[in-house]
Amino acid sequence: MLTDLLLGNYRKKVLSQLLLHPDADYHVRELARLTETAPGTLHKELFKLAAAGLLLRKEQGNQVRYQANRQCPVFPELASLLRKTTGAAEVLAQALAPLQPSLALIFGSVARGTETATSDVDVLVITERGFGDVVRGLHGAQTTLSREINPVVYTPAELKAQVAEQAPFVVNLLAGPHIFLNGTLDDLSQLAGHPAPASL
Amino acid sequence: MTLANLLAIQRLQAFEASPQGVQRLLAAAERNLVDAQLQALSRENRFDAAYKCILQCAVLGLWARGYRTPTSQPGHHQTTLQCLPHTLGLATDVVIVLDALRKQRNQNDYEGEPVSPAVVTECIHQAQSLLAHTRQFLQVQFPHLLK
Repeated sequence: MLTDLLLGNYRKKVLSQLLLHPDADYHVRELARLTETAPGTLHKELFKLAAAGLLLRKEQGNQVRYQANRQCPVFPELASLLRKTTGAAEVLAQALAPLQPSLALIFGSVARGTETATSDVDVLVITERGFGDVVRGLHGAQTTLSREINPVVYTPAELKAQVAEQAPFVVNLLAGPHIFLNGTLDDLSQLAGHPAPASL
Repeated sequence: MTLANLLAIQRLQAFEASPQGVQRLLAAAERNLVDAQLQALSRENRFDAAYKCILQCAVLGLWARGYRTPTSQPGHHQTTLQCLPHTLGLATDVVIVLDALRKQRNQNDYEGEPVSPAVVTECIHQAQSLLAHTRQFLQVQFPHLLK
């Protein structure tokens, strides 16, 4: 919603596709199909975005292909904004909503913004529901995102116990960075039983 | 993808299991499920034992239908589990969970990621119900394999 306001729905779709898949380059028609936009308008839009330095424009024979430009000074900020509001986060938050988890967040490479085309999406889900419920809930999202989802499921009590034991995997996971799907940093601190590290 | 198609692309091999072979594998699956409930073991090893039980049940399903997976082939666990709707008639949403357990095993075996209590509970629960289902299936549809 927020990105719709800031960028407009059209630009949000196109930039999400490009900036959240920075390893891929796209032909205009391909991009139009993926984002359900009109190729005519898209042409002009992409040309302007490339001129502004946010996209790379590559000519391959008589085809023009566009790709995100990681060297653009605002690339990390824009990609991060889109990552939090569109793409994986939105899809996963919706998929998990029926389970009403105490907390859910993305960690790992997708949260760090260092994911590659084949990275899994690592998701921590704090809930009293079983692992099977979470897997079934998230299954459809794997197809939508074209990425494997790797859920890590703890009950609130188990999470506390892991923190108390200083279990390396959980300590590392809690250090972040995170993209919150359900709940906030405050909720996480409360669940973990201590203030979360300041490195967030 | 049907079992016959998987045979054609050599993801499966034709195989005639002997009753002794079937009973030995069923006994191994049962033993693994018992071991999975040994509280003295780490979560990771209890999970492993329960996962083995699941895989062995899935192999029994293939054997009963006259197939096996070439174990030298990468991805044979995945193939074996994904055949379950065709071999033991499992519902797809059960196979989705079993396949997620397979991925958890990879995360643990190859990356040392710990197995959470929720995953152990799920794996044992799935192993129990699949083993009961497999026994019932063999008794009803392939009773000669149990004699």
